Amino acid sequence: MSHQYQAIGWNRQKRLYDLVVLTGVVVYIALFIGFGAWLFPYATAETLIIRAAGSAAFLLLHVVLCIGPLCRLDSRFLPLLYNRRHLGVVTFLLGAAHGIFGIIQFHSLGDKDPLVSLLTSNQNFRRLPDFPFQQLGFLALVILFLMAATSHDFWLRNLTPPIWKTLHMLVYVAYALLIGHVTLGLLQSETSPVLAFATGAGLVTVLSLHLAAASRERAVDLKKLKTVTNGFVDACSVESIPEKCAAVVSVSGERVAIFKFDGKISAISNVCRHQNGPLGEGRIIDGCVTCPWHGYQYLPETGGSPPPFTEKVSTFQTQIVDGRVWIDPKPKAPGTRIEPSRISQAGVSS
Amino acid sequence: MIQPLRKTHRRIFLALALLLPLLFLSGLAFRHSWPTPAKPRNSAALQLPPVATP
Repeated sequence: MSHQYQAIGWNRQKRLYDLVVLTGVVVYIALFIGFGAWLFPYATAETLIIRAAGSAAFLLLHVVLCIGPLCRLDSRFLPLLYNRRHLGVVTFLLGAAHGIFGIIQFHSLGDKDPLVSLLTSNQNFRRLPDFPFQQLGFLALVILFLMAATSHDFWLRNLTPPIWKTLHMLVYVAYALLIGHVTLGLLQSETSPVLAFATGAGLVTVLSLHLAAASRERAVDLKKLKTVTNGFVDACSVESIPEKCAAVVSVSGERVAIFKFDGKISAISNVCRHQNGPLGEGRIIDGCVTCPWHGYQYLPETGGSPPPFTEKVSTFQTQIVDGRVWIDPKPKAPGTRIEPSRISQAGVSS
Repeated sequence: MIQPLRKTHRRIFLALALLLPLLFLSGLAFRHSWPTPAKPRNSAALQLPPVATP
C-alpha cells in the first residue's frame, strides 16, 4: 500500500526473494562458464560470458512468463508473483550484459559505429538461415528496457494500471522476438539436438500455460447469471463461499468478489486498484480484503483502504434469499458504504 | 486483470501459438548445417573407377 514515495518498500520477503534470485543467477553463470571452459577449451572468455548471460536471461524470461498463468491455475504459486518485477529487471540486466558484450566482440572493431554496424551489417531478410537475428535480440532488449524502466509503482500510478499493464504486455512481443533471435541465431550454428529440444520445450511450456489460464478465465467471464427480481442476479449459494474468502462472478462486463465473513456477506469489485490483481482470490485478514498479489487491503463494507491509505474500489448491494446470494449488478461509486447482508437471518436479508 | 486485457491476452497467445512454433520449426528445418556422420577424408577418391593403364 502506498501513501508516500519510497524507492523500494523493502521487507523480509522481498529481501529473501531477491537473495534467492541473485544466488541462482550467480551459481548458474559460474557453472555455465566453468563447465563451458572445461568442455570447450577453445572457447574464449568473451564467448562464454556472452552465452552465459544470454542463456540466463532467456531462461529467466521463461520463468517470469510462467509465473502469471501458474498463479491463475494454482494459488500455491502466488508467493512467486509477489516480487516478479525484480525478476523482470534482472532479466533485462542479464540481457543487457549479453548485448553489450556481443556488440563489443562482434561490432566494435570496425570503422563503423557499433550500433550502426549491429543494425546494418546484415540485411539479408529474405533467407531464414541468414536472417539478421541480432537485430531481433536488440529490439527485444529495447522492450525489456522500457519495461524495467517503468516497473516502479511511480509509473504504475502515473500511467494508471490499465495503461501500465498494456505497456507491460509488450513482454509477449519481446518473447516472440527472442524465440526468433535464438532459433535464427544460436540454433543455426549449434546443431546439438539438446539445445533445440530445450528451446522447443520452453516454448511449448509458456504457450500451454498461457492458453490453459486464458481458457479458464474465459469460462468465468462467459458464465451467465440469472436475473431474479428488481434487477438483482442470482450469484451463488452462501454455502459455496468459504469463510473469509470469496466467490467470483462476472456481471456487467467485470468481475465481482462476494466475501463471507463473521456471518455476513459483502460484494466489492474484484479488481485491485494497485495492479488490477484478483481481490476475490485473496482472503479477509484483520477485517480487510487482502489482495493476493501485493497485499493491498480494502474494507469489505466500504471498498476503501483503511487509513492512511486512500485506494477505493466499487461496492455492490447484496441480498440473501433462501440460502442464495443475490447481487445488484450496478456498481456503487468506489468507497460507498453498503451494509453487509446477514447470513443468520432466515429468508430474505439485505 | 480487467476483462479487456484478459481478452487481449487470450488473442495474443492464440496468435503466438500459431506463429512461434511455425517460426521455430522453420528455423530448424532450413538451417545451414545438420549433424552428419563422419566420413573418411578420401571417401570420394575410393569410389573412383580404376584408371586403365596403357
